[in-house]
Amino acid sequence: MKLLKPSWVSHNGKPIFSVDIHPDGTKFATGGQGEDSGKVMIWNMAPVLREEDEKNENISKMLCQMDNHLACVNCVRWSNNGLYLASGGDDKLVMVWKRAAFIGPSTVFGSSSKLANVEQWRCVTILRNHTGDVMDVAWSPRDVWLASCSVDNTIVIWNARKFPEMITTLRGHTGLVKGLTWDPVGKYIASQADDHSLKVWRTVDWQMDANITKPFSECGGTTHVLRLSWSPDGQYLVSAHAMNNSGPTAQIVERDGWKTNMDFVGHRKAVTVVKFNPKIFKKKQKNGSSPKPSCPYCCCAVGSKDRSLSVWLTSLKRPLVVIHDLFDKSIMDISWTLTGLGMLVCSMDGTVAYLDFSLDELGDPLNEEEKNSIHQNIYGKSLAITSTEAQLSTTIIENPEILKYQQERQNSAQANSGPGAAAPESSAPKLNSVMNGESLEDIRKNLLKKQVETRTADGRRRITPLCIAQLDTGDFSPALFNSVPILPSGSSMSSQLTPQLSSDSSPGQASSMGLKPTHDPMLTSPPPNNTAKPMEDNNDGVKSSLLLTSASKIEPMKALDSRFTERSKATPGVTAAISSTAKTKEETSSDSEDKMAAINKNLTFGKRKPELLLDGREVLEKRKKGRPRKDKMAASMAQPFTQVEGHVDDLKPENLLNSNSIQVSMEPSVFLEVENEVSMVAGSKLSQLRCSRDGRDWNTLLPSSVVVAAGSSDILAVACEDRMLSVFSSCGRRLLPAIQLGTPASALHCSAHYVMVLTAGATLSVWSVFTVLFSMKTTLFVSSGADTTVSQSLLTQQGVPVIGLSNGKSYCFSSSLETWTLIADKSDSLVQCADFRSCLPSHDTPVSSGPLAVMQGRNLNAGRLASRLSSTPHHLQQSMTLAFLENQLASALTLQSAQEYRYWLLIYARFLVNEGSEYRLRELCKELLGPVHKSAATSWEPTTLGLRKRELLREVLPVIGENLRFQRLFTEYQDQLELLRNK
Amino acid sequence: MAKVQVLNVAVLDNPSPFGNPFQFEITFECMEDLAEDLEWKIIYVGSAESEEYDQILDSVLVGPVPAGRHMFVFQADAPNTGLIPESDAVGVTVVLITCTYRSQEFIRIGYYVNNEYTDPELRENPPIKPDYTQRNILASNPRVTRFHINWEGCTERMEDCENVDPSSNSMLPPSCLPGKAPPLGVLPDNSMDCL
Repeated sequence: MKLLKPSWVSHNGKPIFSVDIHPDGTKFATGGQGEDSGKVMIWNMAPVLREEDEKNENISKMLCQMDNHLACVNCVRWSNNGLYLASGGDDKLVMVWKRAAFIGPSTVFGSSSKLANVEQWRCVTILRNHTGDVMDVAWSPRDVWLASCSVDNTIVIWNARKFPEMITTLRGHTGLVKGLTWDPVGKYIASQADDHSLKVWRTVDWQMDANITKPFSECGGTTHVLRLSWSPDGQYLVSAHAMNNSGPTAQIVERDGWKTNMDFVGHRKAVTVVKFNPKIFKKKQKNGSSPKPSCPYCCCAVGSKDRSLSVWLTSLKRPLVVIHDLFDKSIMDISWTLTGLGMLVCSMDGTVAYLDFSLDELGDPLNEEEKNSIHQNIYGKSLAITSTEAQLSTTIIENPEILKYQQERQNSAQANSGPGAAAPESSAPKLNSVMNGESLEDIRKNLLKKQVETRTADGRRRITPLCIAQLDTGDFSPALFNSVPILPSGSSMSSQLTPQLSSDSSPGQASSMGLKPTHDPMLTSPPPNNTAKPMEDNNDGVKSSLLLTSASKIEPMKALDSRFTERSKATPGVTAAISSTAKTKEETSSDSEDKMAAINKNLTFGKRKPELLLDGREVLEKRKKGRPRKDKMAASMAQPFTQVEGHVDDLKPENLLNSNSIQVSMEPSVFLEVENEVSMVAGSKLSQLRCSRDGRDWNTLLPSSVVVAAGSSDILAVACEDRMLSVFSSCGRRLLPAIQLGTPASALHCSAHYVMVLTAGATLSVWSVFTVLFSMKTTLFVSSGADTTVSQSLLTQQGVPVIGLSNGKSYCFSSSLETWTLIADKSDSLVQCADFRSCLPSHDTPVSSGPLAVMQGRNLNAGRLASRLSSTPHHLQQSMTLAFLENQLASALTLQSAQEYRYWLLIYARFLVNEGSEYRLRELCKELLGPVHKSAATSWEPTTLGLRKRELLREVLPVIGENLRFQRLFTEYQDQLELLRNK
Repeated sequence: MAKVQVLNVAVLDNPSPFGNPFQFEITFECMEDLAEDLEWKIIYVGSAESEEYDQILDSVLVGPVPAGRHMFVFQADAPNTGLIPESDAVGVTVVLITCTYRSQEFIRIGYYVNNEYTDPELRENPPIKPDYTQRNILASNPRVTRFHINWEGCTERMEDCENVDPSSNSMLPPSCLPGKAPPLGVLPDNSMDCL
């Protein structure tokens, strides 16, 4: 083991609270206290690793420093893909940083330090939610989430694909939360707090899974941080500060049942940080020794307030090494290199130490393949399924297609993470390009003359600034952060940021202004100058000395200096706040008024017809009492489900019964109005059916009261009390002769040119009107008990009838199978246990909508129970999910809902890819591809539900290509598709 | 963090006769489109003694400001000599450039300004009634102070950000001095011992 303390890694002697090595090992970040703010610094790793690089003055050691945090930075963490850096600090903020491309080294305007930032890191997003200091941040294993914990006792999970969106807040700790770690498998996140507890939370429903308190009952809140860590195989969780027999320990928590039987003992003071080596090791095979397979083990580093560091191997009972007196103060953070052989440790004393281990000491690190197989054995799935760079390096890509695809994927994921590290010349500013060939110099010469200056209404000058560069938003990867255009900035870091509490101090008291005046020589004390001293004592003397001092020499003075830092009285903070409040209020109110007006406008526009008809309706209201009651047999039978058409109904379904007007179609807009007992002619009651389509009205009279009416954009249908069904075209032409129904109609639906009637006698009929074709008539089979009633019914655009029963089951009638098929069962345990959320398509694709989704409920509660079953073996859940997805596919197929079929097919494929079930994938591909050579005997249909199967395959293949394990499959079908296309 | 970062201020026409207008070429970068204009001011400090003698030379609105990097030249007339105390006419004073957003000042850039006679004769024996000659802005040494303001226009947030507890940094745990821990007693069997 080699030990090095690079003295140049420092925050000018201020404490360093956090250190993290970049996944590519070329740089590392430190976080801590700056002069008068929090500080994040990025350092070059090469000078730490190689002495010749350290001595080479051309190799910059410091790459970037960011002073944007207002207060001490407690934690810095690189995302696993290395593109982002997250930092959390005492200013309650989490900032996410990204390397800015195309901006060369620069100094901060007004900064005294002439040290240039070699790399530019911009803050791309600020996450505000915590109400107290942020103590720790952690990226989830695949950078889907970012977690942050705070002294406000909460943990916030952020959506790392859509900052600053919050996923959830985990509440439950009753003390300062000081450490976080994700389970490498991705199922849990663990937190440790000052409330003497370590809590494990499930990621599936963000509920607490375990609350471990026993080992911590004796602990006092004496450590600044409690950085716990999860072993790379996921089997053990090791806590920071725990106590055993009044001795400080690091508690080992087993994943299996969260047992706490073991601990790391020996530190004399509280353990502040535990960090597992990312590698799993196996014993080094010595020459000549028998190659008996040894058990793989993990390696763990423990740092403590006692200033010592211990490194443990889980195969040994004693620590591999203990290093005392490495620092003058408590150890604050530890970071391993991804190779598992290097480690950086930082301390409150403001120094950093680097430890370099050899393979002889730690053992042979398992390669990704072996690590995956361990995961596969334990959890039934490989963790590195979606290709990581590490996996890429060990898997040979055999096909140029897949290589191309992988590269495209990487490019889109990384979207130019910037030119190579520490290469300033390649990242020269590209500002000139945006200005039509005119150079910046030319522009500057004429800027005063050319700039647009106008006068505002109140006579003030207003200058339109000249935009000289767009921000490089292009590198804002759509794959990550695909949301709002949070535009990066921060190339100039404010090293002198001085938050002010008040602004009414008088000159000469400047030192009382800054928050930390003692740390602030730049702002309050003038450059070394002998004359400044006496002036400080005698403010009255300032004026005279001003005149006395030689005019050619500029003498900084306190009185003047104070003016630099003091806010002008014209805009004191308080009034500013008030006026801005007022303004905001004004704005919001006027805004909302505007909105209301707009909405009203929309409403009146959209519903103009019903409003016009309102008068008539009121008159009708009184007469309606004599309206026929429907047969009670089919409970809540009349719930016309006009949503089948995918339209949003302004009017509730009941409106059909209560009011007499419904809108049956939006595009074209069709309103249907029924007026029963409109007139008495020769003792018989006549009913009137009025319809307005795109502003054109027609009406017709019916001899009996209308019970149910429905319509689509093409047709209208009404069922009357006398069991007659009449069907009209959208222009009011009668399309079919009055149909006599056997029993009173209880539900009536129109969709496209199909009419469906469900009668009280439990028969269901569907007619295709234009072809005057009777599609089907069937009797509802009476299932499971007499009290089951039809709670929902609908007709799809393809004329497939669907009914939902009150017992939560939904059926559709398949005309090809001539039978009813089950498409949804709300109590189906498969639905509730299936966990396919990881396979859902990216956020921007709309959720599936269609008859299947309607019948299964919008918030498909799939996965609701998954959390409860999180202890069930993985393979069981896997099978349940598989079964569920296959059910969904089959249901979508019977419903002839093409979009939903495609949606579930892609999820299904992704799930198969993630779970690595090659047989099913192959069969799926085979079915989609069909026979390559045509022969008469094949019964293969090239399309399904109007979707071309080969097109579907083309969509599925990229999903398969994501997992390099299936590259042969990918290649095989890619080739065949190409072949077929060329034919 | 501030949405607007001042990247550079170039002092144009410097040094120059006292009566010439001030000219600053300001380059700034904005993270997101701003809903309101920025207001820039040039303040000339007439006397170190008192703010009474401050002169706001000019204030301009700058906008619209979309996200990106922008520049403009801020020109303002020279200060009114009549408002400057005679005793402060010659010597060192300060000119300030401030920028406010939603009436909140978020940056203050200060320059030392030296007013002197170019004529050695006058330097030695300054006239009783000063006649300004040369203004020299010490452009190489801007003094920049940044203030944390509320950019969003929502006041709750503002409370959060503005009132940063000044003692938040003193919340560090007490320094951990090396010391002897009490003896550990009997260790459980299942512990790993490194003593």
